Amino acid sequence: MSAITYDQLRTLYRTMLVFATVGVLILIAGLIEFVYFEPPGQASGVAAHVAGVFAYDSSTGETSGSDRSEFPRTQQFAAVVDWSSLPDNITVDAKWFDAFGDIVGKAGPGTPSELAGHRIVPVVVPPGFHHSLPGRYEFVVERIKGGFAVEVIGRRFVVVQRT
Amino acid sequence: MIAYTTPPHANPHPRLRPSRYWIAAGITAVLVLALVASSILNYVYLDTIPARTSLYGLLAVALISLGTYILVRAFERDRAMRRKHLIRAGVLIGLGVLLWLLVIDVFVFTQSAGPGVAAICALACLPTTAFGLVVVRRLDRNEKEPWRLVLVAAAWGAIVATSLVVWGEGVWEMTADRSLVPGPGLDASLAYMAGVLEELAKGSAVVLLYLVMRDDFDDVVDGIVYGAAVGLGFNFMETVTYMTNLYSIYSPEGLGLFSAGIQWYARQGLGLFFGHATYTAFIGAGLGIARQLASRRQKLMVIASGFIVAIAAHFAWDAWISLFPIDNTLFGLVEVHLRTLIMNGPFTAAVIALLIFGVRYEGQSLRNQLQKESALGVGAILPEEVPILASPWQRLKQRLIAFSRGGLHAYFNIARLQTAQLDLAMERWHRERQEIDTPLDAEARLRRRVVELRRSTWA
Repeated sequence: MSAITYDQLRTLYRTMLVFATVGVLILIAGLIEFVYFEPPGQASGVAAHVAGVFAYDSSTGETSGSDRSEFPRTQQFAAVVDWSSLPDNITVDAKWFDAFGDIVGKAGPGTPSELAGHRIVPVVVPPGFHHSLPGRYEFVVERIKGGFAVEVIGRRFVVVQRT
Repeated sequence: MIAYTTPPHANPHPRLRPSRYWIAAGITAVLVLALVASSILNYVYLDTIPARTSLYGLLAVALISLGTYILVRAFERDRAMRRKHLIRAGVLIGLGVLLWLLVIDVFVFTQSAGPGVAAICALACLPTTAFGLVVVRRLDRNEKEPWRLVLVAAAWGAIVATSLVVWGEGVWEMTADRSLVPGPGLDASLAYMAGVLEELAKGSAVVLLYLVMRDDFDDVVDGIVYGAAVGLGFNFMETVTYMTNLYSIYSPEGLGLFSAGIQWYARQGLGLFFGHATYTAFIGAGLGIARQLASRRQKLMVIASGFIVAIAAHFAWDAWISLFPIDNTLFGLVEVHLRTLIMNGPFTAAVIALLIFGVRYEGQSLRNQLQKESALGVGAILPEEVPILASPWQRLKQRLIAFSRGGLHAYFNIARLQTAQLDLAMERWHRERQEIDTPLDAEARLRRRVVELRRSTWA
């Protein structure tokens, strides 16, 4: 003999509450992850001077032209960082991210004096491709602490056009 | 032997029932204001081309909303008025669709890929989405939801929900991109954005159906069906957007078709039921259970639970997908499938568990009502019909026997009779639990209809 109707509805109700508890735990885990990778109170007041983003010639390793925020996809480009603007007691790196969040160029990590020879940080065309993929690119100079980036101290956005 | 415990009635204060229409009107007003504000702010502050499309899209959204409202209400009117309202609804929806197609042509991603590519992508997604809707609708084995409501739910997911999130996601993404460190923290923030905003936008459609179309929103099973339908609609539009975007990015490298095809498979094949359909089904399940609960506190708790699970499931996928990187080898094909199964599989399994339990609960309750109706002896349901009507397989068998004897005509006659009988049982179930607004006369009318159908079937 089995009792149905209200008992079954109550079971459904309780099941949903259990699922919601799991949901809350997932969201809390996400919050912990966020706080771990974005720890509060990390604003150091340090700012990196990004001189600009310029056309880049990979054969000579030099930049040319004026600071720009848009490039055709056939044009290589690179950011120029003035590492001497930063105090030498911090560890930093510089990265380029493409529209998918993939790293497509990098310098560091190291102290600003160690990176003095990496003033130009170019975007590298992904292996197997002829040119950079179109979309919005982000260049960041990050302060590193405990092995991972805790603060962005310089940032630039660049659009790579589809044509 | 089965014994029935006495449940508390879901709506013990009939005089309070109309308040839900005010709640629905309030939600609708908020959504319309959000759409208008979103479009204007998009136009002023965000990239102007997509923003302009969202501004032009407002009129299409308004026309489709009004048209679907008239369409849905048309079926509650008498035959003479119904045709007039159906034509009116058809014209409005048609205009809305045409306008929307124009908007799509210049939509942010399609403008780069071109309207032709956008149209091909949309056409590629139509059969799979239609298949998904057919499957989802068939989940309710006892009383299938009307196509008009399932399609309205899917249209809301595709058009209204996607429009609702444009501004919110634009602002959130822009703020996060400019202030957070790229990496897992930013990923978590964007995952919260997608989970919260998209599930609220999709869930509002199910909430409105729950508030306004109470007669077609019976229980947890119906909630899951409507929720999944909204999710499938949203998934349709999102797939078109991703396919066209990736096509435009990769086509100069000769990989446009390949990357669009991968997106199509990931979202319309592998992820058809695992992604948005699963998330929003949780919201529907919460509302479906609330439909039958007595206490207002419990109703609010279970509705909130549905939203929380949906947001959490969506969040988990977006935030932690990078934990399962895909190799650039042949094994990557296996990894793609495993990733979907491991990350979304448990949530889909949870929805299926709710569904199976709900179908069983609904089936037992209907059997109980069928027995009570047959005991009345008025001829709407005969005692020997109870075991047939209570089993979907027996019902199918009866229809197939009718088909073998009298062809399609007999098949559909029996199908109509069975549907009317189950409608009567469902009406009785809700009336017993004081869950409906319609007068007792509605039940008598259903009973008369069954008797008439039986007479014409045998004739």
